[in-house]
Amino acid sequence: MAHLRVSDVVRRYGSVTALDGMSFAVEEGEFYCILGPSSAGKTTTLRAIAGLEPLESGSIEFAGRDMTRAPVQGRGMAMIFQTFALYPHMTVAKNFAYPLERDGVGRAEIEQRVGEVAELLRVTHTLNRKPDTLSGGEQQRVAIGRALVRRPKLLLLDEPLTNLDAKLRHDTRAEFKRLHRELGMTMLYATPDQLEALTMGQRVAVIRDGRVVQIETPRHLYERPLNTYVAGLVGAPAMNLLRGRVAAGNGGAMLDLGFAGIDLAHGDTGLTPGEPVVVGIRPHDIRLGADTGRGRVLEAQVHLREPLGDVTVVDLRLGDAAAKMVVREEVGVGLVEGSGIEVTIDPADLHVFHAETGTRLG
Amino acid sequence: MAAVRSQEEGGFFAWMMAPERRGPMLVAPALIVLFVMNIFPLLWSFGLSFFNYRANRQDIPDFVGLRFYERVLTDPDVWERFQTTALIVGSSVLVQLILGFLLALMFANQFPLRRVLLMLVLAPMMLSFVSVGVFFKLYYEPTFGLLSQAVRVFTGSTYAILGSPTGAIIAIVIADAWMWAPFVMLLVLAGLVSVPKYLYEAAEIDRASWWRRFRTITFPYIRSLLLLAVLFRTIETFKLFDIVYIITEGGPGTATETIAVYTYRVAFQFFRTSQSSALAYIILFVVIVLTNLYLYAVKQREREVS
Repeated sequence: MAHLRVSDVVRRYGSVTALDGMSFAVEEGEFYCILGPSSAGKTTTLRAIAGLEPLESGSIEFAGRDMTRAPVQGRGMAMIFQTFALYPHMTVAKNFAYPLERDGVGRAEIEQRVGEVAELLRVTHTLNRKPDTLSGGEQQRVAIGRALVRRPKLLLLDEPLTNLDAKLRHDTRAEFKRLHRELGMTMLYATPDQLEALTMGQRVAVIRDGRVVQIETPRHLYERPLNTYVAGLVGAPAMNLLRGRVAAGNGGAMLDLGFAGIDLAHGDTGLTPGEPVVVGIRPHDIRLGADTGRGRVLEAQVHLREPLGDVTVVDLRLGDAAAKMVVREEVGVGLVEGSGIEVTIDPADLHVFHAETGTRLG
Repeated sequence: MAAVRSQEEGGFFAWMMAPERRGPMLVAPALIVLFVMNIFPLLWSFGLSFFNYRANRQDIPDFVGLRFYERVLTDPDVWERFQTTALIVGSSVLVQLILGFLLALMFANQFPLRRVLLMLVLAPMMLSFVSVGVFFKLYYEPTFGLLSQAVRVFTGSTYAILGSPTGAIIAIVIADAWMWAPFVMLLVLAGLVSVPKYLYEAAEIDRASWWRRFRTITFPYIRSLLLLAVLFRTIETFKLFDIVYIITEGGPGTATETIAVYTYRVAFQFFRTSQSSALAYIILFVVIVLTNLYLYAVKQREREVS
């Protein structure tokens, strides 16, 4: 029995369909991520679950109860908004106390719980200040605190890191994992950043145009993307997607990429010769140097180098196709833009997708 | 030689518009009008309030010091008029606040024909006092007035609301509130639309009821604007003259004679020019005190917010 079940939810704004049959289920205590680019429907999904959006159709079930028509106040969920939505005219302490004040919780207990939450999030020193005097990171932690203070069964997080700078994002990612482990509550986390989804999520739902594309653990999502959309979204730099065609090779199928042909090692691939396909290869899977023992060696030309500090992203030209490769910094330094090099591709690392539908083949 | 130079320098207009003179020259007409029409009469009447003078006699004014101030302050009529004024100001401002508030709550939402309705509701504020006064005078008229006709449908007899002191005060309050509730609405509406929508959503998530959201989110945003509305309307209504003078002329008896109407009578019907000047300055003093009270409250509020 899933803790939260979203079934076939449809939400339209005029002629725009924001959610088009959104369905997924979250287990109790899970850290569940919704990954998708902007306007894919992440925020609308969370708002629908919280009850802030009326639904055209579909249902939302939570903790064994149908919540589809339940009022926002009665759902027992908390939400952290992308903009934080702190009450600007109240002090941090008042912000924390706000969700508690209606339960008939005693003044002493409110004070105690506010103190606990402030300590948990390390904002005790800001309790008597107004939100606009806080730094972005502190505001973020106050927003988290306000959501946690009443110990909700489900916490909805709407791109909570988007408004923070890079360093803070990194720290807060770790913070969320720590909170999840310590508090053990169910968390539903929407983000456009694949890194956040992969590092924090126990499971990730990739969505597109208001619909779920693939639900997997981060590892599987990365290793076996269901289609080119997921393949392009998950992993950085993004997977190289090259146009090609299936050809008959010696003893199995061969992929004709125009500039070269690659024999697929595994025997029966289910690929029909002559079929146009999209071939995906991760930048990390293109290896510098000729190593025939490990795979097919290709001629390539170094087009551009992007040193990132620890690694260098190299923009390659393979015939008239372009691909990115990642090498260690000290190796990347030696590559001259415009020079020819050899790279090795292991056929086992290739992802083959249907040319038109983008669906994974084999 | 001299002629050539003056031609080079340009004529009178060029002299006036020279950069160092341009600014003062441009504001001079306004300053002259302000001085002749406002500041001088103001000071002159202040002076007159210390002299024995009647505008309809040719006697030489003689200095009497604070005699008229003493007379005004000990005059039981003045205190009665102040009470009448306070009653009208209090009830009218209260009605304006309530009406304006409800209207603002209504217009904060989107609904069909909102813009058209909004314009209609704002119309009274744009009218002149005289037309509002005449309109309500006809409206309250006992034989053919709309109100009387409407009452007759139920009671069978005509109704003269202006006939009784209480009725007359209610009539005045209705007319003034009708005219100025839209003003309060505008201010409150400005406050209402300035509340970010996500705060309401956050409060809903935090399980706040409608009333609690209103109290803790909406109200803090409109509190200072409400105070401002009360300030403006109190000061304005305190000086209420036109509507009262046209609808009731202060009657029946002196039931609706506000301090402004009383001052007018003293000045231009009894021609006690000095006494009316003294009275006018006492009113000015009261208004200044009121203004500062409210300004103090507004500042206090600002300190709370920031």
